[in-house]
Amino acid sequence: MPHALINARDVEVELGGTPVLRGVDLTAAPGEIVAVVGENGAGKSTLLRCLAGLHPPLAGRIDVLDAPPADTPAFWRDVALVGDEPAWYPGLSTREHLELMEAVHSRARLTVDEALAEFELANRADLAPLTLSTGQRQRLSLAMALLRPSRLLLLDEPERGLDEGFRERLAETLSAYAREGGAVVMATHDMRLARHTGARVVTLEATP
Amino acid sequence: MNPARAYLRSKRGEPMGWTERYSLLFGVGLAVMLGGQQITDALEGLVRQADPGRAAAGLALAAAGYVGFLALARAIGPVVLPAADAAWLALSPLPRRSVLGRSAMVLLAVATAGGLVFGLALLSAAGAPDKLVLRLTGALVLGVGAAVGGMAMAVLGQGSHSWDSWLLGLIAAGTALAVLMAVYGGDIAARLAGAPAEWAAALAGLVAACAALLARKAWAALDRVPARGLMRSSARMGRAASAAAMMDPGMLTWAAEDNHWRGRAVRSRRWPVRGGAVATAWQEWRRLGRRPGRLALLYGAAVLPAVAAQAGGGLSVFAVGVLLCGAMTAAAICTTGARRDGDNPSLARLLAGDPRRVMGARAVLPGVMAATWLLFALGGLALAGALPGVPWWLIGPLAAPALAAAALRMAGRGPIDHSLPVIQTPGGPLPMGVMIWAGKGVDLALVGCAPLLVLPLFPSASPAPFLLTQAVAGLGVLAVFVLRSGGRGARVRLT
Repeated sequence: MPHALINARDVEVELGGTPVLRGVDLTAAPGEIVAVVGENGAGKSTLLRCLAGLHPPLAGRIDVLDAPPADTPAFWRDVALVGDEPAWYPGLSTREHLELMEAVHSRARLTVDEALAEFELANRADLAPLTLSTGQRQRLSLAMALLRPSRLLLLDEPERGLDEGFRERLAETLSAYAREGGAVVMATHDMRLARHTGARVVTLEATP
Repeated sequence: MNPARAYLRSKRGEPMGWTERYSLLFGVGLAVMLGGQQITDALEGLVRQADPGRAAAGLALAAAGYVGFLALARAIGPVVLPAADAAWLALSPLPRRSVLGRSAMVLLAVATAGGLVFGLALLSAAGAPDKLVLRLTGALVLGVGAAVGGMAMAVLGQGSHSWDSWLLGLIAAGTALAVLMAVYGGDIAARLAGAPAEWAAALAGLVAACAALLARKAWAALDRVPARGLMRSSARMGRAASAAAMMDPGMLTWAAEDNHWRGRAVRSRRWPVRGGAVATAWQEWRRLGRRPGRLALLYGAAVLPAVAAQAGGGLSVFAVGVLLCGAMTAAAICTTGARRDGDNPSLARLLAGDPRRVMGARAVLPGVMAATWLLFALGGLALAGALPGVPWWLIGPLAAPALAAAALRMAGRGPIDHSLPVIQTPGGPLPMGVMIWAGKGVDLALVGCAPLLVLPLFPSASPAPFLLTQAVAGLGVLAVFVLRSGGRGARVRLT
């Protein structure tokens, strides 16, 4: 097995004094897709926040890219996170949000046109993101994350708002990302998406 | 009373205690003591023949204030409800007018208060050479009539496009009048000031009658205010109220920006710059370039300090206040990217830029805007002969770095820390969390512009040391701010 990008051992998290995660282990190697599943409140999003360095665990150890995760520019140059909807920049179109991402990152994985085509946004390219539907805005979030270079992709319910057809397409896109050597950890409720990506499934159970 | 409102009121918290009553009474007493003498002095000062130049400038300012009042009423709603009421009561089968009745009364009170100020401003500009009581009454009736009538039109416009068009026409006419009065108003102002008091009273009566008709129509139209618009304006009001309370003009623009761009298509263009920080900051330049009307309005407002100075007979505190507020506004409207990233850093994390460099790049546009606005405004003041003998054209560029830092600090403020203590003072409770929050940004502007602010206190001193100190202070404040934004352990909030 290649050297793991994520190595989490015995992670424990409490929110407001209530245990959310207890004794959670998780690893992800380059080229691997991990689907974290579980009922509402099982701690999927919390685990993702821990892996992103946005929430320190109460106990246990998390290493991402051989170091504890930290909310710093150096960390985010290797890690892309898609969670809740971002605050879109006013005055920019859908295409220009992607242009911005391409301009900032020198070695983009996709061109803007490729990203628009891949995420079926070409006929909405000149609209402001707030004009798009919920699912289209989710596609734009995913397109921005997948256009830029990264070694690790953290996705919190990437299927949110997406239609059935596009979920299959997303599975192919994530598989292609993994084939290039990237690792994906996604919290999801969509077992079909997990199956289509060939993900290793990690089930979290709600802490009593 | 509406039974739903009665039920809600019965569920509210404890009634006002004796300490709150004491604070309220003390505050009112203090306000009467402090303001009473000034009002008396001001009324005595009205008995004079107005100078045509100052009268024209004063009338132009009053007209601009009235137009601003109408535009604000239109932008806010004006009929709004608290968020909870908007969500529950506006969508209920209750008669719309009974739900909105209280809001309408509040609007009437606001319009009356605004109208009194407007009337006093008119009389203060035009002067009262004779028959003070008649002229004062006429001016107050005229002011209240105009404000109530305008507010009624805004209420009617909320449910009807044709009334909204009439209101827009009134705003446009008021703007044109203000500009004409500021530029060519000397003769008109002299004639107005010299008009018989009876004419002013007749005009006031006519305006009041029109206002009463409009108010009656607006009251009847309350039943037809659409729920969708009501909910949208109520949400807008939430932001507007906190923006007004916290003296943050940039925050006020958040909802307005979203409303402007929602549903719009723009011609997408290639990103002209490459590389992390500059490319990230270019977003603000592109957004600003797509709002030419707003830019024109902003630079048009650069004439206001000169008008204020002319109305006040020199570089008054009011004129300096208008100058500083304008420059801060010019800087603050160019911080939307920093504000969005401060509120929700998801995009900033995807962009993964170095916070210090991004902050430095983002400071350029607010600095340019503050500098150019000050250049125009100070040019106007120089033409009006209101500036002392300093090389005024230097002041804008020298103050701009501190104003840019202040605007960016304002944009990056987090939520108010309500865990901080509330200090009891004889004038009432002072919540430290709110005070500290409101002071963020303003503090940098005051520190960074301190040499310029104290310059008028030393009219005979050579300006060179002040300007040199200002250059060092402005750049120093900006440098420290930018360096701190990327210090050890900085998070990717880019604000």
